[in-house]
Amino acid sequence: MVKVDDFEVVEGLYYSKEFEWARVEDGKVRIGITEYAQKQLREIVFAELPSAGDEIKQNDPYGAVESVKAVSDLVAPLSGTIEKVNEEVMDKPELLNEDPYKKGWLLVISPTNLNTELKKLMDFDKAVEWHKELVKEG
Amino acid sequence: MPRRIVIIGAHAAGVDAASAARKTDRTAEITLVTKQKKAGYSPCGIPFVLGRHIPSFDKLVVFSPAYYRMMKLDLRLETTVTSISTDAKTVEMEDKTGKRERLEYDSLIITTGAYPFVPPIKGREKRGVYVLRTIDDGEKIDEAIKDAKAAVVVGAGLIGLETAVAFVERGLKTTVVELLPYVLPLMLDEDMAKVVQGMLEKKGMRVIVKHAADEILGTDKATGVSVAGERIPADIVVVATGIRANTELAKNAGITIGETRGIKTSMRMETSVKDVYAAGDCAQSASLVTHRPLLSQLGTTAVRQAKVAGINAAGGYAVFLGCLGSAVTRLFDTEIGATGLTEFMAGRAGMKTIAGTITSKTRPEYYPGALPIKVKLVVEKDTERLIGAQIIGGEEVTQRINALSFAIQKQMTVRELAKADTCYAPPLNETWEPMVLAAEIAIRKL
Repeated sequence: MVKVDDFEVVEGLYYSKEFEWARVEDGKVRIGITEYAQKQLREIVFAELPSAGDEIKQNDPYGAVESVKAVSDLVAPLSGTIEKVNEEVMDKPELLNEDPYKKGWLLVISPTNLNTELKKLMDFDKAVEWHKELVKEG
Repeated sequence: MPRRIVIIGAHAAGVDAASAARKTDRTAEITLVTKQKKAGYSPCGIPFVLGRHIPSFDKLVVFSPAYYRMMKLDLRLETTVTSISTDAKTVEMEDKTGKRERLEYDSLIITTGAYPFVPPIKGREKRGVYVLRTIDDGEKIDEAIKDAKAAVVVGAGLIGLETAVAFVERGLKTTVVELLPYVLPLMLDEDMAKVVQGMLEKKGMRVIVKHAADEILGTDKATGVSVAGERIPADIVVVATGIRANTELAKNAGITIGETRGIKTSMRMETSVKDVYAAGDCAQSASLVTHRPLLSQLGTTAVRQAKVAGINAAGGYAVFLGCLGSAVTRLFDTEIGATGLTEFMAGRAGMKTIAGTITSKTRPEYYPGALPIKVKLVVEKDTERLIGAQIIGGEEVTQRINALSFAIQKQMTVRELAKADTCYAPPLNETWEPMVLAAEIAIRKL
């Protein structure tokens, strides 16, 4: 893990420019929002998530997170069928603020086009560079 | 087709209106247009950057560019709206390269803010004379402080005094000149203002009341200010004599301007023209005490009005009933807060008042670190209702002002306030809450 300014970026994850991360775990993929995203949104009060069995498609919105002041679409970093939804974040959306890379995961999916789609995401090194740009622009 | 919402201005009111609109309508196309280079920063923080309590002006930017992307807000920086057509429902704008564009809207929100009003003081155009409104202004003053020895601040309102305190903290010999008989004239009555003035003087600030700044001296650069025949040296002169609502765009579009010179609004923050809303320093609303028009021009009022405007502009329903002008600041180590009407303002509104004032401590005498606190309550004689409060103290002023603001909003009588069920522990406060003691004093005068 490195910190770019005040924002953690974790090794071994893939990142989308829609502020989501994806971790490949035994053929499945776990996804969530980045620390940068949660810090922009601040106190998250509501997470609107799809259900297990639903399909998500890379770059399409699949849900939303709402904070005291903001609301942001969740945009799928990869395509696939939803295997698991983190019920805990529905009850305790503050987990997205407290632990976005671990307890605050959102979905586990069975990816449908993993190898092609991963190429469109940033790896750790690229994500660190991108975070540096985000910090620079203010 | 998605709803098109255009917001003119992108500071506290503009950005909060955009956020509220986005929460109400997730598919709307929301465009924010601002003349400035930076959006969504806190101008209220500028004096505290000058005083070095906040390390840099950049820290005042509340929302990053990424925030706008995440919220799908189309932010147009350095772009000026030149006109509004309420018939065609369009705004004309021009970016910094001179490119013109016409945007259509279904709802329009005007959050054009206010500009610093500079009275016609002779010599006001000289170098070294500043106003304090934007980060640009703040940066110029910050630069000027580096080579300065003395400063004069014209105007002893919140911004004037906060800036003067920053000057003292940066080592400048500082004088404040106020035309009215006492400092913070919109927040405090004279008896309370004298306490603040005494404190400022003890910290080395010179405060001159009941006098105008007659002339800014110097050939092309300010070297001093002439006040009642005295020449007060100054390398920096800051004019902080209040702000005026930016209403020209609205006025040119035929939108009604109210008696406070702010844009007239309904409880839904809608202007005289359907589907056009206004919020923030440019928008008039009502006093919760007198129910008369009020131009509050505070950050808290701005965001609360903006939330209502944003929800309504996006097809929802919300109302803003009015405000009390609740305000708080800290000057050196002293916190000063007020809500509702002062006795002076109530008198001007034709109300008969009595007051209850007490000086107490923030903790029991025996507990180390107890600080003084002075509470004044203003009560309307006929109804026995609390209509205003002023507090000066070493700590814990903010939440007391908030509590008294709730009491005024709920139209509580001073007799009800005197029976308040308050809490107590020696490290935190006194057994008898100073607000309750002040209420008891007021009751005796009824």
